[in-house]
Amino acid sequence: MGKKKREIGILRQVAAFFLIAVLIIGIVTFFMLRVQSIDNVRNQTELLAEETANEVIMSVREYPAHEWFLRYWYRHADELDVEYDTDYSAGTKTEEKLQLVRRHHPELSLKYAEAQELEALPEEDQKLCAEIVYSWMITRVNQIKRAYQVDYLFCVVADEAYQSQCFLFSAADEGAVRGTNYEEVYVLGTSVSIADNQSQQDAMRQALEHSTHLAEAGDYVDYYAYLGDVDTKAAFIGLTFNLSGLLADVQAQTWIGTGNAVILELLLAAFCLLLIYFYVLRPLKHVQQGIRTYKITKDSKEITESLSLIRSRNEIGQLSDDVVNLSKEIDDYLGQISAISAEKQRLGTELSIASQIQEGMLPSIFPAFPERREFDVYATMHTAKEVGGDFYDFFLIDDDHLAIVMADVSGKGVPAALFMMASKILINNFSTIERTSPAQILETVNHHICMNNKAEMFVTAWLGILELSTGRLKAANAGHEYPAIQRRGGPFRLFKDRHGVVLGGMDGMRYQEYEILLKSGDSLFLYTDGVTEAADAAYTLFGTERMLRGLNQAADAAPKEVLETVKREIDAFVGEAPQFDDITMLCLRYLGDTMKKITVDAKIENLQQVQSFIDTELEAAGCSMKAQMQIDIAVEELFVNIANYAYAPGSGSAVIGVDVKDGVAEITFADSGIPYDPLKREDPDVLLSAEDREIGGLGIFMVKKTMDDMFYEYRDGQNLLTIRKKI
Amino acid sequence: MLNIVKERRDDALTVKLEGRLDTTTAPELEGALRDELSEVKALVFDLSGLEYISSAGLRVLLSTQKTMNRQGSMKLIGVNETIMEIFSITGFCDILTIE
Repeated sequence: MGKKKREIGILRQVAAFFLIAVLIIGIVTFFMLRVQSIDNVRNQTELLAEETANEVIMSVREYPAHEWFLRYWYRHADELDVEYDTDYSAGTKTEEKLQLVRRHHPELSLKYAEAQELEALPEEDQKLCAEIVYSWMITRVNQIKRAYQVDYLFCVVADEAYQSQCFLFSAADEGAVRGTNYEEVYVLGTSVSIADNQSQQDAMRQALEHSTHLAEAGDYVDYYAYLGDVDTKAAFIGLTFNLSGLLADVQAQTWIGTGNAVILELLLAAFCLLLIYFYVLRPLKHVQQGIRTYKITKDSKEITESLSLIRSRNEIGQLSDDVVNLSKEIDDYLGQISAISAEKQRLGTELSIASQIQEGMLPSIFPAFPERREFDVYATMHTAKEVGGDFYDFFLIDDDHLAIVMADVSGKGVPAALFMMASKILINNFSTIERTSPAQILETVNHHICMNNKAEMFVTAWLGILELSTGRLKAANAGHEYPAIQRRGGPFRLFKDRHGVVLGGMDGMRYQEYEILLKSGDSLFLYTDGVTEAADAAYTLFGTERMLRGLNQAADAAPKEVLETVKREIDAFVGEAPQFDDITMLCLRYLGDTMKKITVDAKIENLQQVQSFIDTELEAAGCSMKAQMQIDIAVEELFVNIANYAYAPGSGSAVIGVDVKDGVAEITFADSGIPYDPLKREDPDVLLSAEDREIGGLGIFMVKKTMDDMFYEYRDGQNLLTIRKKI
Repeated sequence: MLNIVKERRDDALTVKLEGRLDTTTAPELEGALRDELSEVKALVFDLSGLEYISSAGLRVLLSTQKTMNRQGSMKLIGVNETIMEIFSITGFCDILTIE
């Protein structure tokens, strides 16, 4: 939600597109109009030019002897005395000349005379005729020029190479100056070079081929029409129009047309945008607002009411219907989800309680038997799920027999956990009842599991019973992994025992029992397939080889450290790959009964014998003087206690044992006298004055204060007291 | 096991203990003191030779202290470290006069 995108409205986007489109259409319109107008002007000009030229040509050809006249004018240009820009009224030079000709040749009609008739006239009269007709011609073309508003109108004879033009006649406006100079209206016979005017040359050539031609040059348009040949040279009627004014008009018209079109388009665009706003944007914003509100409130009723205002039946109306339906579905889902998550939470809580119960079933307080020095046992279970099917167990069947169990229930999760609980309890119960034969225990457990095994689950189990006083380990294997045995100081090796069928597999199975003699310092390692089948990311299994290697890295360490080493190895091997199965391990080290014992009559006379027996052991172990004296005092206090009270008033014997292991001396006192726990005696108040002090209880108090550890047990009719002291 | 040397000068008695004062030897000390103590006003225990003391020995010292509280004074000299620690643990260092 942190980053907010810059919002651009659809209206703005569409408006931008419209503007661009209008601009493009405006430009296109402008050019189209312009081209069209120029074409129009051109065509009209050409039409006008053609008409004008035809008029001139017709005027020339009215005279049957026009070829003769043209030739005469051309040949005698320098000799003719012509009168320009005159009319037919009396008193003009031309009128006088005409009177003269009529007098000489009354039969001659100048307008309709044939070339032969003129040719037959005397030289002077021929000249007069040519001069009269020339003046008439000028007057005529002047009229045409004025009528058609042509800028220049003339008749030229071009030489063969089109290098020069010889002007026969040119029309002039009133008051125009005639001459042979530039910007004057050229008189008859004026010759103009067009050697460097390629367009004029081309125009004339074109006109010769197609009889007419229009040539443009800047604001001017030249038009040439072929008139006929004069002495093998071509004569042309030429016209020139100045188009600058016309073109300016065209430009202005084009602008106005374009402007109108653009304004209309803009109006249309605005209208479209308005429609878009009212029919699309406004309802769309309403829908959007509804969705945003719903996102916060999650109230489908509110959005339903809000969107019911949109009544249109188009896509927007459908969209609002869809949104309303969607919000209702979301509401339904949310309800379902909260129900599901509540259920899930309940299940999670139950599973975690189940897991706690299950974990509580396994002995997990270590050291498990602090008062037993014959063995050291440690076990761990790392479950893959919240509840698993692995379990281990160890418990004392009696003072001299330790049962050890390692088992793995088929399957995982809650069913496996339930089955595991049942199996564990069965094995534990029958071990206590059957006592010494693992095979028999497994047979009985198998029978009981098979009796009610509708789920057809099974459990692999290894059961051993260790006789602590001798180290004899009896064991039987119901389809479980091979145990690993380590002989003192040596490496761990798999012990390939004979497997029986799994428990719950088939009723009435027999299990093979075998015996291993453990000596002091030997170890036993048990595990489930979660250890050997731990897989890394590439699904390579950890395997027994790696397991044994891990075991042997810490072969001589305490069982706890052995298991920790193996677990570290597994973790390093597996890496980030998920754990699929429970990893359960147990390690037992048999230390044996190394305690030295002396049996004496519980009498004070024997105190010295007891003390020297213990001193000998302590001295051999290199005990410090101070610790030895404190132990001596403790032995005295405890032995005197037994001598004075255990069998009073009769007498009996006491067994005193001593054992030093790992720098700790352990001394045990056993007697068969009246049950008495000296630890329960209240401590004397050491702050009282001499007068108030009681002497009783001081001895036990001294023992408690000076020894590291002290515990009492009444077992099998014996008081058993143990003290420990680091020496 | 326990060697008891008594040195009497008027009403002052010095008792030098050497060896072990334990369950076996405590009665010996008790007996030795019983006859001597009635006229004594200043009792001194020289413990410089004492190697070992158990609760039986402590009991004799306590009962003697109680007797001497009534008729004079009692003090302990030459208490070595080991014995001193036992006096500390049991709170005897507070009820005995140790120099």
